[in-house]
Amino acid sequence: MVAAYSPLVVALPFAAFVIAVAMGDRLPRKGAVVGSLAAAGALVLSVLLAVTVAASGTYTATVWRWAAGADGITLSFGVLVDPLSTMMLIIVSLIALLVHVFSLGYMNDEGERDLPRYYAGLGLFTASMLGFVIADNLLMAFIFFELVGLCSYLLIGFWYREEAPPSAAKKAFLVTRFGDYFFLIGVVAVFATFGTARFVGPMAFPTLAEAAIAGEVTVRTFGLSPQTWITVVGLLILGGVLGKSAQFPLHTWLPDAMEGPTPVSALIHAATMVAAGVYLVARIYGFYAVSPDALAIIALVGGFTALFAATMGVVKREIKQVLAYSTISQYGYMLLGLGAGGYVAATFHLLTHAFFKALLFLGAGAVIIAMHHHEDMWEMGGLRRRMPVTYVTFLAGSLALAGIVPFAGFWSKDEILYETLIHALGGSSVLVVAFAMGLLAVVFTGFYTFRMVMLTFHGSPRSTHAAEPQPVGMSMRVPLVVLGLLAVTAGAVNAVPLQKLTGLTEIDFLHQWLDGGTATLTAHHYAELLPYTSAYLGGGPATTVLIGAGASLALAGGGALAAVLLYRGPEPTAHTDRLGAVGRLWYNNYHLDEFQVYLARGVTAPLAGRLNGFDQRGIDGVVNGVARVAIAAGERIRRLQTGVVGSYARVITIGVTTLLVVIAVIGGWV
Amino acid sequence: MVPVSWYLAVAAAVFAIGLFGILTRRNALLFLMAVELMLNAANINLVAFSVYWGNLTGQTFALFVLALAAAEVAIGIGIILVMYRNFDTTDVSAAAEMRW
Repeated sequence: MVAAYSPLVVALPFAAFVIAVAMGDRLPRKGAVVGSLAAAGALVLSVLLAVTVAASGTYTATVWRWAAGADGITLSFGVLVDPLSTMMLIIVSLIALLVHVFSLGYMNDEGERDLPRYYAGLGLFTASMLGFVIADNLLMAFIFFELVGLCSYLLIGFWYREEAPPSAAKKAFLVTRFGDYFFLIGVVAVFATFGTARFVGPMAFPTLAEAAIAGEVTVRTFGLSPQTWITVVGLLILGGVLGKSAQFPLHTWLPDAMEGPTPVSALIHAATMVAAGVYLVARIYGFYAVSPDALAIIALVGGFTALFAATMGVVKREIKQVLAYSTISQYGYMLLGLGAGGYVAATFHLLTHAFFKALLFLGAGAVIIAMHHHEDMWEMGGLRRRMPVTYVTFLAGSLALAGIVPFAGFWSKDEILYETLIHALGGSSVLVVAFAMGLLAVVFTGFYTFRMVMLTFHGSPRSTHAAEPQPVGMSMRVPLVVLGLLAVTAGAVNAVPLQKLTGLTEIDFLHQWLDGGTATLTAHHYAELLPYTSAYLGGGPATTVLIGAGASLALAGGGALAAVLLYRGPEPTAHTDRLGAVGRLWYNNYHLDEFQVYLARGVTAPLAGRLNGFDQRGIDGVVNGVARVAIAAGERIRRLQTGVVGSYARVITIGVTTLLVVIAVIGGWV
Repeated sequence: MVPVSWYLAVAAAVFAIGLFGILTRRNALLFLMAVELMLNAANINLVAFSVYWGNLTGQTFALFVLALAAAEVAIGIGIILVMYRNFDTTDVSAAAEMRW
């Protein structure tokens, strides 16, 4: 039984972390080999687990019960191996393996120092994410969620001797912690409401929430109706999601996180940190599906972020900045999909995005190595002849990102938009707005993607580095090719539009996969819970698919074509200035960073200063005043202790006599 | 038979004399004697009530008080000796070191 060994998926990378910490300097390639082997082991085990799930269904077990309360609340670590988690396990361990291999070229061959610390960080990062994915209850998920945040802090700030990375690391940590604070309250609220935080089983909290809204069970709702209270709890948990998945307004940490080593960026953006937020919503989707308000908010935030981030990506100068904003935008799509009821669509996009975004980041890493660590796209140009492998794979990733048929991103993004469209047509006005924003973002996505490709690889070299790029080694090319193939083909796992058009059945493999396992965690079950109804354009799903896919493809193609036309030629000119004030606003990220700094410096710091003053003077004043009164009184009262035995006798005599007189008077003897 | 209140009056007088001694004298030996007077005032009460009620418990108790008084004198004189060795006097107000 392979499933019984599932905790090993987490233990292997963790062991790599421990080994790298303990004896990293003596390891071959400073820990890279051990880390890669651990990630490969985790990958093999994940695939075996997927096979087991396919054969014998969901496996769940409690590994360690570390606290048990008198009122039946238990806190435990456990594993939940089901279709969703095995899919994510494979993604995470595969990307982690490729990132480890890529790091051989990016870090080891460049002669970086402190490499054991780097590989220890990667190992712990991988282990934390895998532990988060496999978690069977919300508290365990939260603990590993926090560990993921800690590891991203450690890795973003890897080059701590420079000025920017530590600052970016702190920003990432603080901004995501802000969201996680709400998540923590949400976890406590889930325990307080349902008495359990389990994801699966008859007493799982999403199942209980469903039953509570139907009125079949009663839960503690603190005076609110079950519907309202579950929405409140869902939104609290969503706080953590918005922070980790870099959604508006907590997205500001992610572009700064580009200060970390590029393979780390690939890992953060494709598989671990940022994916954690969206995965969490998918994991407890049954909980959100019963709350129409929470779903609407998720869809709106997602749609808005998709558009909002895409606009900023249009004007950036640095290749990794463009990719950073594209990540925010793409995760916006995933949340849009989840909020619009497209559970499978969003999960599908999580899968394809992991591949093509890891590919794009590793490709950018190769470019950065070739450019001797220069990241400004205006200093690049013409790299396509010098690095054909990187160019071809990067182009595949870009086509997938832009959503051009038949690359992976097209299928998943189109399915998200399709689900949003049919549910919007079904009468949800919120989704109409969200869909419009999502569709508009497609144009921007196509544009910034191909602006990046044109500036980086086409034209003629615009600097000496670009003219004489440093060749990249095998360890960097192999991951690129693997991911390139996946970016081209991964869409085939879920070609729903083809199924709708051709009438072929059984080619929506991901749908079938996510419909397996425990009944309460299937896509089918979620579809029954959702508050949406579907309606179609032109009378049927096939026509709607054609119109929707055609529109988004035309928009993406239009955006891409515009970028190609604007930035073609050997010496492309910058068109950013023509955008005027809007362009400057985009380039400065809508001044949101400044706004957050203002919130910290102008609002929070003075308020904290006031409160500190009140604490120092008010609270401490009372406490110290009481002590001072006691000291002064003691100083006076101790004079009674004369040490002269005669005076003690006098006091005793007077005291006893007084007592006798008082008792006599009260007792009525006289 | 002599009424019990007479005994009580004698006992109260003896007790008051002892108390007067403690409050006015400063010589430690006189202190000790005054304490003896007070103890014996209590003994008179115990014996008087014992006879009054026809119950021997009070007289037995008086014997215990006598034994206690003897022990108290032994210890008291020991303390006075130590005090004289340290302060060269038996004046109780001299021994006032143990204060604030």
